[in-house]
Amino acid sequence: MQNVLVYVEHKKGQTRKVTFELATQARELADKLGGKAHAIVLGAGAKALAEQLASYPLDAVHYSEDGDVDAYLADPTIAYVQAAVAAIGPSLVLVPNTMQGRDIGSRLAARLGAGYAADVTGFAVDGGALVVTMPKMGGATISQAKFNAADHGIAAVRPNAFGAAKGGSGATVLELSKVSGAYRITIENEVEEASGELGLEEAATVVAGGRGLGGPEAFTGILKDLADAFGGAVGASRAAADAGWVPYSLQIGQTGKTVSPNLYIGVAISGAIQHKVGMRSSGTIVAINKDGQAPIAEFCDLLVVGDAFAIVPELTKLVRAAKA
Amino acid sequence: MKIVVTVKLVPDTNAEKRIDPGTQRLIRTGVETVLNPYDEYALEAALALKEKLADGSTVTVLAMAPEATKETLRKALAMGADDAVFLTDAALAGTDTLGTADVLAHALKNIGFDLVICGGLSDDGSTGGVPGALAEFLAVPGITNARSLEIIDGRVHAQRETDNGYQVVSAALPVMLSVTMAVGEPRYASLKGIMGAKKKPIAPMALANIGAPGSAGAAGAKISLLSTAPPPVRGKAKVVEATDGLSGAQAVLDFLKERKLV
Ligand SMILES: Cc1cc2nc3c(=O)[nH]c(=O)nc-3n(C[C@H](O)[C@H](O)[C@H](O)COP(=O)(O)OP(=O)(O)OC[C@H]3O[C@@H](n4cnc5c(N)ncnc54)[C@H](O)[C@@H]3O)c2cc1C
Ligand SMILES: Nc1ncnc2c1ncn2[C@@H]1O[C@H](COP(=O)(O)O)[C@@H](O)[C@H]1O
Repeated sequence: MQNVLVYVEHKKGQTRKVTFELATQARELADKLGGKAHAIVLGAGAKALAEQLASYPLDAVHYSEDGDVDAYLADPTIAYVQAAVAAIGPSLVLVPNTMQGRDIGSRLAARLGAGYAADVTGFAVDGGALVVTMPKMGGATISQAKFNAADHGIAAVRPNAFGAAKGGSGATVLELSKVSGAYRITIENEVEEASGELGLEEAATVVAGGRGLGGPEAFTGILKDLADAFGGAVGASRAAADAGWVPYSLQIGQTGKTVSPNLYIGVAISGAIQHKVGMRSSGTIVAINKDGQAPIAEFCDLLVVGDAFAIVPELTKLVRAAKA
Repeated sequence: MKIVVTVKLVPDTNAEKRIDPGTQRLIRTGVETVLNPYDEYALEAALALKEKLADGSTVTVLAMAPEATKETLRKALAMGADDAVFLTDAALAGTDTLGTADVLAHALKNIGFDLVICGGLSDDGSTGGVPGALAEFLAVPGITNARSLEIIDGRVHAQRETDNGYQVVSAALPVMLSVTMAVGEPRYASLKGIMGAKKKPIAPMALANIGAPGSAGAAGAKISLLSTAPPPVRGKAKVVEATDGLSGAQAVLDFLKERKLV
């Protein structure tokens, strides 16, 4: 394993923080492995994004705006990444540990016969071998594992696990030549439900609400305001998603998303184990709950016992004032 | 149509998982084995589809797991699966994500299928990597994270969840599909179902039956586990009783300032 390739997830050229974290990490790993750091951006908006990525410490950014990428699910994307891997040579491929990243990473691993490590939060190079750190069992254990083969490996990297820094002498931006294939899954339509400028999994601050909020209004109102004050994202417990107050894409936990923001604020969430496994590795955990005995008391850093409807709007004002 | 649901058998998801400090392994004593919760949603989607098609379609469940956990599959049969295949082999210990997908693909080719339905994520491994890799090994279209599905004229039409909404996609059968929990709450097993499940077949399968894929076991693994440890401990929480909204908010702000988070 020498060269490192970052798969860039984006929508029409809009990407997220995790992309820059991966680019920065790719540089570090490429230096340790004695190789080059590359990135690949595919689909509508790829060219502009590739140019933006050139200010990160990468050696080359490859792009294609081929319409197939947005017309068919997964297959064209994999075909392009596979072609890039073949051209770039033996490599470690970094994908974000998001719904799309996992999909691309695991399929690519199968095609390349490469090892696949999911939810990676740390890397080390030990005598030429790449060692990864991964939380398992919903964060109840932390495992270390090693890629056995020296040629290819795929790592799905947890957002917020690494820092991002611009730098380097400017990457070369290269257009990929057309890759064709018999693609089988047609994308007929795409619908946006949540105002997803910022992905829940990538947000540095998550403000999550639970059943105690009593209805959908609080999620689009006081909770959204607080999240906005931090520049963060709104999340939810399953009870709130089941009640139909928020789409399931906002659910955190065992059957939802895993988040590890620097700051997680749980509002009117009891902290059931199935919720806990989706957020326990957050940096700082603050809970606002009217019940001082709620299970979340056992794994938060600060518990404020009181009424969410009274506290949250005041907190929004204080945060805004502090940031002004 | 033949529908096969892959189900993983995992330690009870409601139990707090702890590591034995001596052996560094998960403490399994007193922890029951259950169907991976996500896979109950996959099974529900399969059963609902079978009922809707009402054309003699069947639902088979397939699990790859240690011998001792076999009876856990009865629950899937009690929920309404027609039969089960239990893939077990001493040589499977140490199989990694890619190996699991490859071995399951070999088993599925042996069983035969029109539609394979997976859960989205396993509770213990949580790699979420098996479904995508499985589609590749089966060389069929893979539709992940579906929240609803329909079969029309031999094509699967599905809504699949994305980070901020959904996509409408379609592909011709045979297909591998993984679901999210939005496909609908898994049904409870009825008393009749539980009684009937005792008579339903659980067919054993070993690696020798499926061509002994080289990806099985620790020897075939592309990734090897080096160590397992408990996560870093979080200190005891600071607790503040808010007398009113502002005092509660101030307590949060002070704390965040202390930690340089605002
Ligand atoms: C197989 C399975 C999978 C699951 N997966 C998930 C998952 O992925 N994610 C998940 O979250 N859950 C999951 N659950 C559900 C989980 O067990 C809990 O039921 C759920 O997390 C509870 O949500 P909650 O905390 O919002 O609601 P509750 O447990 O009802 O808690 C509400 C809290 O709000 C507080 N409260 C009420 N009013 C106020 C107020 N005005 N101000 C302040 N506090 C207030 C209460 O004191 C209480 O602590 C799963 C369950 C199962 C069985
Ligand atoms: N050992 C197994 N036996 C049967 N199905 C499995 C097994 N491991 C994973 N799966 C399937 O793959 C899905 C995703 O699991 P994972 O990739 O481990 O998170 C699960 O929900 C199951 O449907």
